[in-house]
This record gives sequence, C-alpha cells and structure tokens, in this order.
Amino acid sequence: MSNVAFEKPVEDSVPKINDEVAVGEDLVFQRRWWKFESVMWSLIAILLLLNFLGVFGRGPAAHASLQNDALSIKYERVERFGTPAIFHVLFAPDVMSKGKVELFVSQSVVDELGAQRVIPAPLESAVGAGGITYTFAAGQAPGSVEFALQPARAGIYHFTVGIPGSAPLSGRIIVVP
Amino acid sequence: MSTMISAVAGYFFLMFIVRLLTRRPGAQMTMFEFVIVFLIGGVIILATTGGDRSMTNCAMAILTVGLLHNSVAWIKARSPRFGAIVDGTPLVLLKDGAWVKEVMQGMKLAPEDIMAAARMKGVNSIFDVKYAILERNGTISIIKAEKEEA
Repeated sequence: MSNVAFEKPVEDSVPKINDEVAVGEDLVFQRRWWKFESVMWSLIAILLLLNFLGVFGRGPAAHASLQNDALSIKYERVERFGTPAIFHVLFAPDVMSKGKVELFVSQSVVDELGAQRVIPAPLESAVGAGGITYTFAAGQAPGSVEFALQPARAGIYHFTVGIPGSAPLSGRIIVVP
Repeated sequence: MSTMISAVAGYFFLMFIVRLLTRRPGAQMTMFEFVIVFLIGGVIILATTGGDRSMTNCAMAILTVGLLHNSVAWIKARSPRFGAIVDGTPLVLLKDGAWVKEVMQGMKLAPEDIMAAARMKGVNSIFDVKYAILERNGTISIIKAEKEEA
C-alpha cells in the first residue's frame, strides 16, 4: 500500500480561451509588461549614450584636469574598478630648476586608487603627513610624472597632490564597480 | 565574497535582460539569437570571476547561482504573479484562423515563426491551425483545426 497523501483535489483553475483551451493568458499583465519594456529600452539607450560620453568612465566626460602655479594634473574623474588608468602630473618650469623635484601624494592615491607604478621611478620616497613624498631627478622643463592606477574598490575617493611648500591640488575620483 | 556578490548581481541582471529580450531566446532560437546568448554569457563571466581564476572562486560562483536559481524557482511555484514577472504568461498568437496582431507585434514574431512550429507538428498549412500559443518557455504550441467530414 502506498502512503502518499492525496490532499488537494484537482481544480480547473487555468483560464480558457473560447471556453475550450486552458491557456492562462493574462493580456492585462502583458500590456503592462510591454509598456515597462519600452520604458526600459529607452532607459538602456540613455545609459549607453551616457557611457559613450564617458559618464561611467573612459570617455570625454570623465577627463579632468587641475592646475596651480607649481603643477598641473590630468586624471579621470570617473574610473572603473580593477581597470588601469593614468594619473598625469606636469611640473611647472620653476619647480624643476633645482635638479630635483619633490611631489607629495595623499595615501588615497596608493591605497584606494591603487597606484601600481610611478613613472619614472623616484630617487627616494618618504612616508608621513598622510601620504608619500616622492623625490624625482629633474632636468629641463617640461617634465612630468605618471601614476599607473588600478582601483581595488568601488567608491568615492579624495586625493591631494602638491609640491611641498606650495598650495596643494585636491580632487575627487569616483570609482564605479 | 566579491565573486558571490557579482554572481548575484550578474544573475538578476542577466535574468532581467533576457526577459526584456522577449521569450525568443528560450526555444525558438535562430543563429542570430545564439550570438546574443553566447556574447552576454561570455561578458558576464568576466565581471563575475574577476581576476581570481581559482577553482574555489569558480565553484563558489556556480553554487551562488545554483542556490539563487533554486530560490527563484521556489518563489515562482508559490507566487503566480512573480512567475508572470519572471517567465511571462502564455499568449495566444492565432485564434480561429485570425492572427492576434497585438500579441504578434508585441512579441516581435512573424507568421513564419508560427509556421515553423506548425511544421514541427506535421501541419502544412496555416489554415489547419486553430490555435497557436506562445508558451512561457518560449515554445509555440499548435492546436490543429478539426477537419469537417465531407
């Protein structure tokens, strides 16, 4: 003898068409879904356009620059998690005249923004004051330094870059997942 | 941890996009639609596993997706509304010798798609089809018209 319990009787609950074929069609729901679909496709088109422009990184809208008397920097204001990006620092001729140049970068450039390499390699680096001060050999202007970044986490990160003794440049980089 | 979060996000994102792509990727796939499925699958793998190609990471991603899929199936079985959102509802494409134009257009189907399903059932003429129904899994069911006795 089987011990299977039969508890719920079978019901003819599926709506029929023409009173003969049980289909369970729900056109009211489907019409709503089609409207939702068309709204979503419009949203997707807008998202793709914004992405093309660089709102989510790697496009014209993501490029940013800051400048003061001592240096100018070019960077991406929107970066992507785990994706390489270049942080470019260009020194003013005045600061390069002493044969070497010092550059302070906040710890966030190394930690959150994931600096992988500094090009060219600094002569020396010193930690302190919430960041790292690099010393580079300097020749004739123009001269620049590049930081190869690769953010390890999504988020909004603030950075500070400056020549010791002059006003620093501060900015914000958004790292998208 | 990040792989599991990526797998969950990837699962729902993929489910949402496939749902938006109507039901055709399910069963009535053409070569053109195969391209979409493979391309989307390949792209989502990159974001899910990231730089960690270890066996542990891949196994955790697969287990996460498996558990998620089982949970979605469980909810679908208990909530018809959730089932309709995830899979849609069956739709009548042809009824009593007339196309249901609203549904055909809405589901981006052509009469050739229905005839392809009819031929699989051994029906050679559209006039021999009484009902054509697009099922939740993407297949098209054909119900033959009863021929009148001469």
